Amino acid sequence: MRERQGPMQSPVNWALLGLVIERPSYAYELAQRFDRTYEGALALSSTSHVYTALSSLLERGLIEEMPGGGSERQPKPRYRATRDGVEHYQRRLVAQLSEERRRQRLFAIELAALMSEPELARGVIDGYEQACLTHAGASTPSSQLNSDDTRSQLAERFASEEQRLSMGAKLAWVQYLRRELRTFAERRGTAR
Amino acid sequence: MSLLALERVSKRYSTSTREHVVLSDVSLDVEPGELVVVWGMRSSGRSTLLRIAAGIEPPDAGTVRFRGHDLAKHGDELLGGLIGYCERTFRCAEGQGVLEQVTVGLLARGMVSRQARLRAQHALARVDAQGFAARRLGALDAGESVRIAIARTLALRPALLVIDEPTKGVELLERDEIIELLRSLADEGIAILASTTESTGLAGADRAFALGEGELRGTPPLELATVVPLRRSSVRRALG
Repeated sequence: MRERQGPMQSPVNWALLGLVIERPSYAYELAQRFDRTYEGALALSSTSHVYTALSSLLERGLIEEMPGGGSERQPKPRYRATRDGVEHYQRRLVAQLSEERRRQRLFAIELAALMSEPELARGVIDGYEQACLTHAGASTPSSQLNSDDTRSQLAERFASEEQRLSMGAKLAWVQYLRRELRTFAERRGTAR
Repeated sequence: MSLLALERVSKRYSTSTREHVVLSDVSLDVEPGELVVVWGMRSSGRSTLLRIAAGIEPPDAGTVRFRGHDLAKHGDELLGGLIGYCERTFRCAEGQGVLEQVTVGLLARGMVSRQARLRAQHALARVDAQGFAARRLGALDAGESVRIAIARTLALRPALLVIDEPTKGVELLERDEIIELLRSLADEGIAILASTTESTGLAGADRAFALGEGELRGTPPLELATVVPLRRSSVRRALG
């Protein structure tokens, strides 16, 4: 990626890059595949959004037009990922962990702002725990992969299993938060 | 009237140096056909909660009722009958074979041998372990042992099945089969009360609770409760 452009932030651009890596496609076909694949998770503002995103990916050298696409009178380019595009996509996926850490850190900082009001903090912790329990309970107990899974079933399974496992860590964290909150409130009471 | 109702149950354990509150004012209902799972960390009181719910251990305060009957007075007649507490360990004195283990409880209750064997085979088939009847206990892996333990409890035809950490020690990819089995038993109308230390064990539950510092938390808020009906059908799909 050309450094002068800075890191690519748009989730739509990354999503389109993933689709192109999966299978070279035309712009219109990509828009359709985008809607099917990311339904409920990401949305295009309009079909022209795809063309803007593809221009950006082309400019950054992450995708390229395939040779021999369309006729001279009616050019209809198909796009494929460049080697650079695939490498950036891989790095972006791994970097999601840092993004999650950042979000969790922000949540912790925001929660700490309520420590002087233990009842408010307790309310947040209770709600957070309830959401964890609900999400963990709502997941489907089926972590085994089937050879005939479609791509979307596979993605659903990956997400469900990640959620089931990570909820355990969050529930344990909630127990820790409650203990810390109580100790903090007791110390504050003693200091007064 | 709930099938099982724990009302303001408390329990504490004392040693010479300190007192540990395991359960504090815990209330919980379980209805027929419900899969209720309690998540808790080590030493959170999960096992104590389940033993009290099954009538094995009395609470220090509060009451446990099964179909309105106080377990403090009727626990002995209900446990091992309508209340099935699923022990995951096997007593060697009760036999080394799978079929012997599943029939022993029935024989102890006066059932004739032929009938007990038929009932046991039916229970083994229900947990998809019909081929295990002739096996020795030592030849079972953790997941198979849990199935046999569930079959042994099912043979007694309980209305409530209580099971502590059903997936403990079971291979990661085999745990879901146990959870799906419990879910399917609940769908048939048996109330299931289970515990887990892993959030994966909460999957498919009608209601999930967290136990910590003696308190039980986790009544689903209304805005999130809509996920419940979807869950059952998705599990059925997964079961094919």
